[in-house]
Amino acid sequence: MRIQTRREGGCRVVAIHGSADTEASPVLREALLGAIEAGETRLVCDLRDVDFLCSDVLGVLITAYLKARGRGGFVRLADPPEPLRELLKTTRLDHLFDVYSDVTAAARP
Amino acid sequence: MPSRRRPSGDFQAWTEKTLPTHLGAIRPVETELMARLRDLGYDEDHRFAVRLAFEEALVNAMKHGNRMDPSRQVRLRYCANPECVEIHVADDGAGFNPASIPDPTADENLRKPCGRGIMLMRSYMDEVSYSCSGQEVHMIKYRNP
Repeated sequence: MRIQTRREGGCRVVAIHGSADTEASPVLREALLGAIEAGETRLVCDLRDVDFLCSDVLGVLITAYLKARGRGGFVRLADPPEPLRELLKTTRLDHLFDVYSDVTAAARP
Repeated sequence: MPSRRRPSGDFQAWTEKTLPTHLGAIRPVETELMARLRDLGYDEDHRFAVRLAFEEALVNAMKHGNRMDPSRQVRLRYCANPECVEIHVADDGAGFNPASIPDPTADENLRKPCGRGIMLMRSYMDEVSYSCSGQEVHMIKYRNP
């Protein structure tokens, strides 16, 4: 898994590439929670290039969501491929997260 | 729970491995199984489903079964053939009652960061069963359910 971050529309966009598996989850945790600790509470996770995502990583996303919300911000999910959309639906986390078709839409105020 | 269909003994090529309780041990065996499924012509949906259940089973065995105790091991046995993928994962832990795990999709549990592994295994595999002690999980994914 590889992570790239950038700013767009007043948000910190965290683009995740590759397989978000259990071994990789600490790296994502550090990226998301580190950003929130640094005051970046409006986060967009760009999932377009993610081919796998496990429950450990779902847990990281939830933890980041709760922390960002607690500071008046958000964690939004952008452009998940179909298997990830299905995963969010199966876990009912599509009821928790706002899911957008692309990063631009997700980064709008 | 008995399997609906089982390939004949001659048809199976079982792979057996003993893994250390170390999360870094998962990726190599997962890569090996995924390569086998690609070779057998399983589509992306099947590979995603099996990979997810495989990873969740091994992580559960290490984290919740063996409590990340490096002196304990995880025993893995799998068989992939053109009809189905069958996986057994056993740990050295005290076992558990799968029925005692709260439903992670319930409204009151949606914000909890943990507890989705078993539900995902059940959702993405066609058959999931546990030994009486809860130390071993057995899963099957059929190519044509």
